[in-house]
Amino acid sequence: MSGSALRRLMAEYKQLTLNPPEGIIAGPINEENFFEWEALITGPDGTCFEGGVFPAKLVFPSDYPLSPPKMQFTCEMFHPNIYTDGKVCISILHAAGDDPMGYESSAERWSPVQSVEKILLSVVSMLAEPNDESGANVDAAKMWRENREEFNKIAQRIVRKTLGIPT
Amino acid sequence: MIKMRHISVTLLSVFLTFVVIGNAYYQKQQFYPSVVYITKSNPSMAVIYIQALVLVILLGKLMRKIFFGQLRATEFEHLVERSWYAITETCLAFTVFKDDFSPKFVALFTLVLFLKSFHWLAEDRVDFMERSPNISYLFHFRVLLLLVVLGLLDLHFVAAAYQSTVTKGASVQLVFGFEYAILLTVVFNIAVKYVLHTVDLNREIFWENKAVFLLYMELVMGFIKVVLYVFFVVIMIRFYTLPLFAFRPMYYAMRNFKKALIDVILSRRAIRNMNTLYPDVNPEELTDADNVCIICREEMQTASKRLPCNHIFHTSCLRSWFQRHQTCPTCRLNILRTPAPQQTQPMQPRMNQNRPAEPRAQPMGPQDNAFIPPPFAFPWIPQQPPNVQPNAADAAANQPGAQQEPAAAPTGEQPPPTDFSNFQFFCPPFPFFGMPIPPPPTPPSDLSNISEEELRKMEQASKEGIEARLRCLRNIQLLLDASVAMMQQYVSAANTAELAANASQSGAASTSSSNVRQPGAEGASTSSKESSPLSAEPSPSSQPQAGPSSSSSSLSEQEDIRKRRLQKFDQAAK
Ligand SMILES: [Zn+2]
Ligand SMILES: [Zn+2]
Repeated sequence: MSGSALRRLMAEYKQLTLNPPEGIIAGPINEENFFEWEALITGPDGTCFEGGVFPAKLVFPSDYPLSPPKMQFTCEMFHPNIYTDGKVCISILHAAGDDPMGYESSAERWSPVQSVEKILLSVVSMLAEPNDESGANVDAAKMWRENREEFNKIAQRIVRKTLGIPT
Repeated sequence: MIKMRHISVTLLSVFLTFVVIGNAYYQKQQFYPSVVYITKSNPSMAVIYIQALVLVILLGKLMRKIFFGQLRATEFEHLVERSWYAITETCLAFTVFKDDFSPKFVALFTLVLFLKSFHWLAEDRVDFMERSPNISYLFHFRVLLLLVVLGLLDLHFVAAAYQSTVTKGASVQLVFGFEYAILLTVVFNIAVKYVLHTVDLNREIFWENKAVFLLYMELVMGFIKVVLYVFFVVIMIRFYTLPLFAFRPMYYAMRNFKKALIDVILSRRAIRNMNTLYPDVNPEELTDADNVCIICREEMQTASKRLPCNHIFHTSCLRSWFQRHQTCPTCRLNILRTPAPQQTQPMQPRMNQNRPAEPRAQPMGPQDNAFIPPPFAFPWIPQQPPNVQPNAADAAANQPGAQQEPAAAPTGEQPPPTDFSNFQFFCPPFPFFGMPIPPPPTPPSDLSNISEEELRKMEQASKEGIEARLRCLRNIQLLLDASVAMMQQYVSAANTAELAANASQSGAASTSSSNVRQPGAEGASTSSKESSPLSAEPSPSSQPQAGPSSSSSSLSEQEDIRKRRLQKFDQAAK
């Protein structure tokens, strides 16, 4: 019998296909391997990423949902919480065990209650409201704080790029 | 594109080799002199080295095709990443043995690297078994063949290194022997994993013990590796110098071992709690309402457990989760620091009041028949009354004496984060609603009141005497807990900026810490009950208790604070 991780991923895939959240498409890259997914995320309306369609890759550990997956954008991104190589840095993707003391920082961290859908929704809200405390991309964080216009310009360029429109 | 480049590099190296050999043969006309000519000429040797490297890579590709077929992207990434470290460490190792530097030496190191890469790939491949819905016979055949080949090779090289060291004394063979010994443990590890995964794949039902086996295997392997590394470093320091190249892997081996050890200890504790303290959920409750287990997203039909926070899960899912984290998956209540769930009957209504406030309430059955007395009491305290709350973290240490009033049992509650000023903004949403925090404990009857008879009892060596002593120690711990809790409340009260209220409370709290050592601590404990609404954990559950004695104004302030927080959580949830 296949592992519980696989069955849960299949269940989540089914749920996402039957009931897709707005602006998000996600599923396994190929049905032979349910542990590598790709996702397409639409930039939230009313933000500088509006209109963009951002492809990302999700890699699940074999003990999913006990450990969180990893997420990485496969297109160019410029955002305070995304590393320059596309890796996403938000609390929901971090395992809770890192600080055994105090729950306050672990409240939003990974636990089996979370799901692919919740991760992707968190990423959408992260696109809308970057957390400039996190230093995944220091340049982007600095620009977000100090020069919003320039940041918006770069974001718009990336949006056009993901849509295949020449800049 | 990359493929084209590979082919052209290969062809170029072959061409250069032909040129070098042809040139040597043209100049010397005979086999032996031309070999000597090539080995004497540096540029020729460089070409030969490159040719050898290209051949090794080609051989590697061939072997990879045989044993693995197409590599997956993640496997390739791992391979590149690990090769990078391995090559760096090999270069470091060269510096230690620069005296024995020779073509044979380079070849041996290349061979180690070459075999290592196959171990890594085998590891990734076997891990992949857990992730793939169908495993072909070819897969099994390849993995088995590979494991046998790698195991035999490792054994052979360990034996060869041992022979060489025994007969010729310490040499670079030490390093090789050690490297192959580590690789041998890796092969063994992979083989055990392979067996476990294969058994799991062929089972009809979920195999919950697999995770336990994996956990213990991790521990044993970690231990063997640490021993090997320490042994190696000691020997290297004796014969050569500090083996810097072994430090990074040694550090990781030690870290993994430590982690495995902590995992085993904590998870054992959590699982023991689960088995002994937490009630099973009876089938009627499960058929009630929505009963999806949040961990596996499957329906709960049998074998489910209720945690102290009233969340229910499959026993097997919970067990595998506890092997990683000892918290409730839904509300993150730390179960090792929380009393067991046996609320006494009077506390039940309070639990019910709390539940609607919980944003992500788990489906739960009717509460009326939820109370199941624990089947377990710590065996060495036979007369333990059923209503005390054994603390999970330090077994009996926190249990109150039998004369304690049940509601005031100590909780062993976690000292809240020290930064109280932030607390309002970063308070933990879930544990907060799910976990009823009882008021600070009432100190037990004073120690100076111990009667002659009790003292005599304590001096006995019999079981009774030991029990009496233990009870006394528990009382002392209880006093300490009480004073800690009061100090916390004092600190938090001082920080809530309600100065007027604080003046009286701080008086009460500060006297209480001195009072605990004197008879008549009753007054202090009641005043600490009053201050509990303003304490660091303004859990709603503590409110009803404080009701009768606290003034109406503090109650409404309390309500305000709570409403504001709920709004914050709502905003956060959106
Ligand atoms: Zn389950
Ligand atoms: Zn819970």
